[in-house]
Amino acid sequence: MSFKTKDVVLSQTRPTTLLLQKHADYLASYGLNKDDFEYCMTEYLRMSGIYWSLTAMELMDQSSRMPKDDIIEFISLCQDSESGGISASNGHDPHMLYTLSAVQVLAMYDRSDAINIDGVVKFVVSLQQDDGSFFGDKWGEVDTRFSFCAVMTLSLLHRLDAINVNRAVDFVLSCMNFDGGFGSKPGSESHAGLIYCCVGTLSICKRMDALKVDELAWWLCERQLPSGGLNGRPEKLPDLCYSWWVMASLSMLNRIHWVDQEKLEQYILACQDSETGGFSDRPGDITDPFHTLFGLAGLSLLGNSSIKQVNPTYCMPQETIDRLRLEPQILLI
Amino acid sequence: MHGRLKVRTSEEEKVKKEKERQEKLKVFKHAMNVIQNKRKKCELDTEQLDVTGQVLTKNPDIYTLWNIRREILIVFRSNLSVMEMTKLYDAELSLTEYCLKINPKSYCAWHQREWVLMTRSDPDWQKELALCNTYLKLDERNFHTWDYRRFVVSQCKPDLQEEFNYTTEKLHDNFSNYSAWHYRSKMLLHLFPDKKGGRPIQDSHYKQELKMVLSAAFTDPDDTSAWFYQRWLLGAVKNITQIVVCTVTPSKVTIAINNSVSKSYIKEKIKVIINNHEVIGEWKSCLGNEYDDLWVLNHDQSIRNHLDIKVKHILVDNEMEVMRLSELKPAIYVGRNKISFQNKYSSTVLDELNEQLDACRQLLELEPDNRWTLLTTAFFLHCVDAKAYHKEIIDIISTLINIDEQRAGYYSDLKSKWCMEDNIQENYANLSLDYKVECKKLSSLPHLQYYSFCEALDLSNQNLTSRVLPGLIKLQHCKKLNLSNNKLTSLQGFPYLTLEELNITDNPLIENHVEQLRKKLKNTKIFF
Repeated sequence: MSFKTKDVVLSQTRPTTLLLQKHADYLASYGLNKDDFEYCMTEYLRMSGIYWSLTAMELMDQSSRMPKDDIIEFISLCQDSESGGISASNGHDPHMLYTLSAVQVLAMYDRSDAINIDGVVKFVVSLQQDDGSFFGDKWGEVDTRFSFCAVMTLSLLHRLDAINVNRAVDFVLSCMNFDGGFGSKPGSESHAGLIYCCVGTLSICKRMDALKVDELAWWLCERQLPSGGLNGRPEKLPDLCYSWWVMASLSMLNRIHWVDQEKLEQYILACQDSETGGFSDRPGDITDPFHTLFGLAGLSLLGNSSIKQVNPTYCMPQETIDRLRLEPQILLI
Repeated sequence: MHGRLKVRTSEEEKVKKEKERQEKLKVFKHAMNVIQNKRKKCELDTEQLDVTGQVLTKNPDIYTLWNIRREILIVFRSNLSVMEMTKLYDAELSLTEYCLKINPKSYCAWHQREWVLMTRSDPDWQKELALCNTYLKLDERNFHTWDYRRFVVSQCKPDLQEEFNYTTEKLHDNFSNYSAWHYRSKMLLHLFPDKKGGRPIQDSHYKQELKMVLSAAFTDPDDTSAWFYQRWLLGAVKNITQIVVCTVTPSKVTIAINNSVSKSYIKEKIKVIINNHEVIGEWKSCLGNEYDDLWVLNHDQSIRNHLDIKVKHILVDNEMEVMRLSELKPAIYVGRNKISFQNKYSSTVLDELNEQLDACRQLLELEPDNRWTLLTTAFFLHCVDAKAYHKEIIDIISTLINIDEQRAGYYSDLKSKWCMEDNIQENYANLSLDYKVECKKLSSLPHLQYYSFCEALDLSNQNLTSRVLPGLIKLQHCKKLNLSNNKLTSLQGFPYLTLEELNITDNPLIENHVEQLRKKLKNTKIFF
């Protein structure tokens, strides 16, 4: 039995240029039909959906096509007055994931005043545990994703000092594995998405020194498959969103040149849908705003000049990060 | 949306499909309305359990609905009998199992299962472990199932040797099960740590694991999982924090460490003593960080000729290491440690490494271009004796740059690292303040803190790009820096250094960057 690498083959007829206007049109009309099945079924993550669409539009310099006032009002309504946290949508419960998305959106709009900032800080602080980890909400799920949400939310509000940063870092480091990567909690297997969260946490807390850089970056560059696409774990299929998780991590490690950038660009471009606009996980699949953002952000990291520069730690336009005077750490090489 | 293929359908089919979806949507919206209304009225009852359950079986990721169910179960707990609650908890477990069949990666459903087991008084952990075994047969890589297994194990505490054996079993089924290699690494550290030697794993097990990797890797060298595990095994050696070089000049004191340490470490463990008086002052990382490998102290001492300067370093076991500095030029004092980049292994492990190296060489005869065998051979050689095999190692890496173009950047930087290490060890053998890095085509500058004491450093004729520039901050005492004939395009990241001369001739530079750098380094003579 011979070993076969799991991968896809890019077709000859795939898109090879960036269909920028198509993507902007796709996102501008996404959710206009409130009875669209997909749109309704994804209400439980609406706040993140708004963040994906708005960030993508910002990167394409077309955010004026988004209903700014409605969005800001929606966010205000989603803040829970008791806990201070923000929910995915009206009628849903506050959660760390959607609190971050809301704060990111307001940071891009420069409208943090639309929510009760002290409330958000109180919410995040209340979820930190003695071991430095964070719950996602009061129900006690622990995950390094929530550590990242916590430090990113607070740093965007310039309130990082409200939590015990050293302990937050120690918890993340306790999730480091034999391969230099990170999983969702201590003992969990390395996964490119969670590596991004953990490296991002260390970048914001300026503790990148604690990484096993050579092992980690090697593992990350080995995610690239012959098609040019990246997978999230060994022996898995490529998926466009890993262009972001892997490449953003490698950017923070100052090693994006460890992958073949030209081939990756071909893969990302092949994930565009030339009819509907938007990007999908693999060529030929159905598109969605999530993969559309990570396709565009990935191209931005590769230096595509028709997309604005994205910040690898925050996955937001660099200009927003500059305006907020945030300086997440990037390693030297 | 992951893995959903776009299918072309006829207009007729489309209309039919849309009609079906609108029907489903109507049911969904109605149910959600019922739920929200009942919640507003604080109706925590069986009906609410039923409706939320119905919606969750279709979409287990609606996290709020699981929250509602927990609220209900908590209220029920104070009113219902133990037997009635047992029934309800069992039903909840069945619901999560049903949901996990629809979406085995639903965070919410997995968490609900954990919550139920932690909440009820009679959890059956053996049953849960059996469930993990079943699920891992269906998908051996689902990390949620593995996480859940670790959770169950943490509760029922089976003999960890059994868990270790389970990974052996899974790996013999399929060597490319990376999840099993991962779990194995955790079990190994728990079961066989080398407490006496301070190393991660006992020698005998070390050897056994290396053998296991080899049999996996040789089953099919293109299967990547085992190689990562092997790399970890090779790197699992004791690492000791060491001062590399200390420099004292009239303007500042710098201390370079082999790896990053915290500000409090420098403050508490390291003392600089001039003529029997400790130098007092605030240490700053050269980058302004809390952790760094190069620390700077701006002192107010007058540094003259013929001083007695030494550095004391309190080591882990409270032993004291004292390093005496020598005056290399009037009022320039440098103290350097004996350094080594060579990994140190016990003779048992070393014998095994040599044996495996031979096996790799044989394999290369059959398949000379296999990138995994090549890279492994290079690592074995490096682990056995980096200095003696330096040329062979570099030749292999150069071959890899051509064979595996996708990762050429990685191999170039690996070559740079190993060349730098070789070069630094040579340079440290003779005392000077003026060095030329005698490597070929460096693409990055690792370990630059080792050159922090230099007055002149020649980095010309390499492959350095602008990404290395911020790292030059490590050259805190440099006066003459030669970067000519490299691949610098931008100078934006160039740090503030008190250089007298900077040579950046023969670089593909953008013109106005030189002007900007002139403004930044006002007292530096720039050749471009």
